[in-house]
Amino acid sequence: MTADQIRAHIDPIRHEFAEPRSLVLPALKFAQTEKGHLTREDLEAVSAATGFSAAFVESVASFYDRLYLEPTGTRVVSVCVTLSCMLRGADEVWERLCDREGVSHHGGTTGDGRITIQEAQCLGYCDRAPCIQVDADETVGPMTPESAGQLVDDLRVAPAPDEFWR
Amino acid sequence: MADYAPVDATVDNLVTFELNGRTVSAPPGTMLVDAAYAAGVEVPIFCYEPRLGPPIGACRMCLVEIEGMRGLQTACNTPVAQDMVVTTNSPNVKDAHDGILELLLVQHPLDCPVCDKGGECPLQDRTFRFGPGKSRFVEPKRHWPKPLELSSRIALDRERCIRCFRCVRFSQEVAQDGQLTMQERGAASEITTFSGDAYEARFSGNIVDICPVGALTSIPYRFVARPWEVTNTPSVCGLCPVGCNTELTTREGDLKRVTGRDDPNYAVEEGWLCDKGRWGYDIIHSPTRLQAPVIREAAGDRTASLEDTLPAVAGLVAGRRVGILLGGGATLEEAGIALDLASGALAGAVVSRLGIPAGGLSALRARPSADLGEIDEADVVVVVGGDPAAQQPVVELRLRKARRFGATVIGAGPRPHALETLGEFTRSAPGALADAIGTFGAPVAAAANPVVLWDEADLAADPAAVDALDALLSGTPNARQIELGTDVNGAGLQALGISTDGVLAAIADHALDALVCVHADPLGAAGRTAWADALASFDGPVVALATHETATTARADIVLPAFTMWEQDGTIVSMTGRAQRLRPGAQGPDEAAAGWELLVALAHYLGAPPVYRTAAAAFAYTAARTPALAGLTADVIGTEGARIGTRPDVSDGSRGVAEGAGLELVATHDQFGDVQTADSHALRTAFQPPAVRVHPATAAAGGIEAGALVVLTSPIGRSERLPLIADDRVPEGVVLAPLGAPGAPVEGALAVDRHRIRVRMERG
Ligand code: SF4
Ligand code: SF4
Ligand code: FES
Ligand code: FES
Repeated sequence: MTADQIRAHIDPIRHEFAEPRSLVLPALKFAQTEKGHLTREDLEAVSAATGFSAAFVESVASFYDRLYLEPTGTRVVSVCVTLSCMLRGADEVWERLCDREGVSHHGGTTGDGRITIQEAQCLGYCDRAPCIQVDADETVGPMTPESAGQLVDDLRVAPAPDEFWR
Repeated sequence: MADYAPVDATVDNLVTFELNGRTVSAPPGTMLVDAAYAAGVEVPIFCYEPRLGPPIGACRMCLVEIEGMRGLQTACNTPVAQDMVVTTNSPNVKDAHDGILELLLVQHPLDCPVCDKGGECPLQDRTFRFGPGKSRFVEPKRHWPKPLELSSRIALDRERCIRCFRCVRFSQEVAQDGQLTMQERGAASEITTFSGDAYEARFSGNIVDICPVGALTSIPYRFVARPWEVTNTPSVCGLCPVGCNTELTTREGDLKRVTGRDDPNYAVEEGWLCDKGRWGYDIIHSPTRLQAPVIREAAGDRTASLEDTLPAVAGLVAGRRVGILLGGGATLEEAGIALDLASGALAGAVVSRLGIPAGGLSALRARPSADLGEIDEADVVVVVGGDPAAQQPVVELRLRKARRFGATVIGAGPRPHALETLGEFTRSAPGALADAIGTFGAPVAAAANPVVLWDEADLAADPAAVDALDALLSGTPNARQIELGTDVNGAGLQALGISTDGVLAAIADHALDALVCVHADPLGAAGRTAWADALASFDGPVVALATHETATTARADIVLPAFTMWEQDGTIVSMTGRAQRLRPGAQGPDEAAAGWELLVALAHYLGAPPVYRTAAAAFAYTAARTPALAGLTADVIGTEGARIGTRPDVSDGSRGVAEGAGLELVATHDQFGDVQTADSHALRTAFQPPAVRVHPATAAAGGIEAGALVVLTSPIGRSERLPLIADDRVPEGVVLAPLGAPGAPVEGALAVDRHRIRVRMERG
């Protein structure tokens, strides 16, 4: 993504951020919508658009789980593994989903490159634990290992999103 | 110690508080750690480093008990308050020290026996003094491939990092190169650069000095020495006229490392060195280093011993009309002895120096001056001409600091440079600085504490600007000035009243029979064409006292090998007028000697032994006869330096009128473009090969595309072929060309007195 595109996105919201550094986050999230992850060029564009050094921009991106510095699958599936979800069987959902999709229990991207599975911390859906969020879409739950598998199968055949909001 | 800020207890309205049962005072605003340290109580710290800006409280090592406050408090970011009751040695605090150190060491490899920092490591020392002595952590530790090369000069061992953020803050806040950051989070955090690029910056080496553990090490120093087998000697950097205070680490007579001092000189460099000052010492072992005297005879060159050579030199110069030419880096001792020779054993000898004539600048130099440290307190800083970031590197850090403290930075000059982003800078045409100076009058007059930095070369070539600046300074009594000088000891040689006139004219007039060059390379310096012409018809003997082979040593009949500034005693005066002492941190070649010793020996062989036998005595003798050095002795100068008095007014030439036609030649000096860098293994990736720069329109007007090789021809001489770079920040009609590059490619087109020159630029 180009610095100009990023500027066009952040200029209207600039006034909402008292601390200029805070703008780096929305800029990064927007830059990521193009490819689903951030390349060196994207980081440089964010740096140019926000005025912070590329190294600083990259350090911010590296801090957050939902900003990706490596390519991901077309869709990212985040399985909540925090307390409420765990108590309600998130560990089983997680492990069975990883096994089913052939990724390690640390998560990862499926061999066909369609799906990235990752752990997430409390998604605020404790009342529907255990829950799963796809990209930055609505969170769904309660899940079972079977419904989680079905969710992934559905995502596989669904058309790729135009923009990757994660 | 740089870890703690100095506390000035002489001010009024001190705050009084209780520290471990004692009553202690400190100025308001002092951080508790500093007040305690000044009172003899060490509160252990890691992340705190007062030179890096406001404390960030990242490591939690400095916890103390403060009555009335819940829990323990971090003393590094808690200012003292009246009647505060502080305890730093209670069981609670001891418990906290144990806990924090155990935590900091959880992932630490404890590989002190193979760590370069071992023996001088704050983490090691404080663990011994304040730590628990035992860890309960039995789980496997985190491992990283080690070490990672951050650059060709700095290695990073991520396992040892305690994430204190000091290096990051140096890069982001002090040097503002923006390159170092902490990435990831928690246990995975690591210091890195953008996408793992090399950390190439002008001041990168300072992070090695401030890292409180062995995570950042200097690659040239890795596994080279142990703290208990080295000696550390306070000295001064002689690679530019800033005169940063250094510490030389010597092992078995060899210089192994140059660092900032633990006790920084806050008036000068504040403990920061530029990378050239830190790693440029490689030149000691350069292949061009002179190892033994050379006597050049019809039958060919032969090397000889000093014992045989010095009488030969005496024989060549005795009873003749001698010219002694001093280089800009010759020490006060060397220059003083040269003057003694000229009034004694070599009566009537002409002594002059290479460099920019002082005539015309004396008035500016006599205006109230400041040390670099005083830039910190300025509210308005004006930069007139020059390119301090490249030519007087550490000045850059001071300007950035002043800006951080809220100073307004303004300036003008013919060169685009790295500090122009700090404030409002205008690009002036060469020789037209006066207009810009006129616009500085209002902001300087309105300031409480203005500091004006002015470039020696630019002002000397622009008399109207000198007048304008002098008027500005005389009209604002609270303004102080700092000269951005050119020569390492230029100010010292001026203090002795040595002019740039004399030797060259005397040679041209056939008024000399012999020439002695002392650390001077006239055939490689600005104006070398004129020197080459003069020496071509000079049939007297030429003696060159030098550290390295130069164009002049190649022409000399006798070459005397001298010690470098890392190997000898001596005194040099920084551009701000601070006399500081060089001390030897290395043993020079066996058949070489310190320049001052060679000159003293020469006096002996001439049958006129001087009254002094040591460098300190030679200095005292010179100082006693020099008004500008009145009261100075080696002891008075000490390790911190001392300011000299007003330099005598020497009228050696006035300039300002441009000679020739075509593009105006503006000389530059790249920090990493000179012979020292080219010869340094450690700095090899930093070397900037010489090139000339013009505005794209200027290149187009000449029909020359970027990248082509060009030659500059002035009425005086020609440059070598250099690649052309198009840069739209260069004013049109101007060509920027670097001095000091290996082989002196540009110097031949310049005038000896550096007056303004216009050149023809042609494809070469
Ligand atoms: S590398 Fe050294 S200075 Fe930098 S954060 Fe780690 S311990 Fe601190
Ligand atoms: S700024 Fe000058 S004096 Fe200081 S370290 Fe660098 S070269 Fe040496
Ligand atoms: S713990 Fe999973 S949504 Fe809160
Ligand atoms: S020294 Fe106080 S928190 Fe690090």
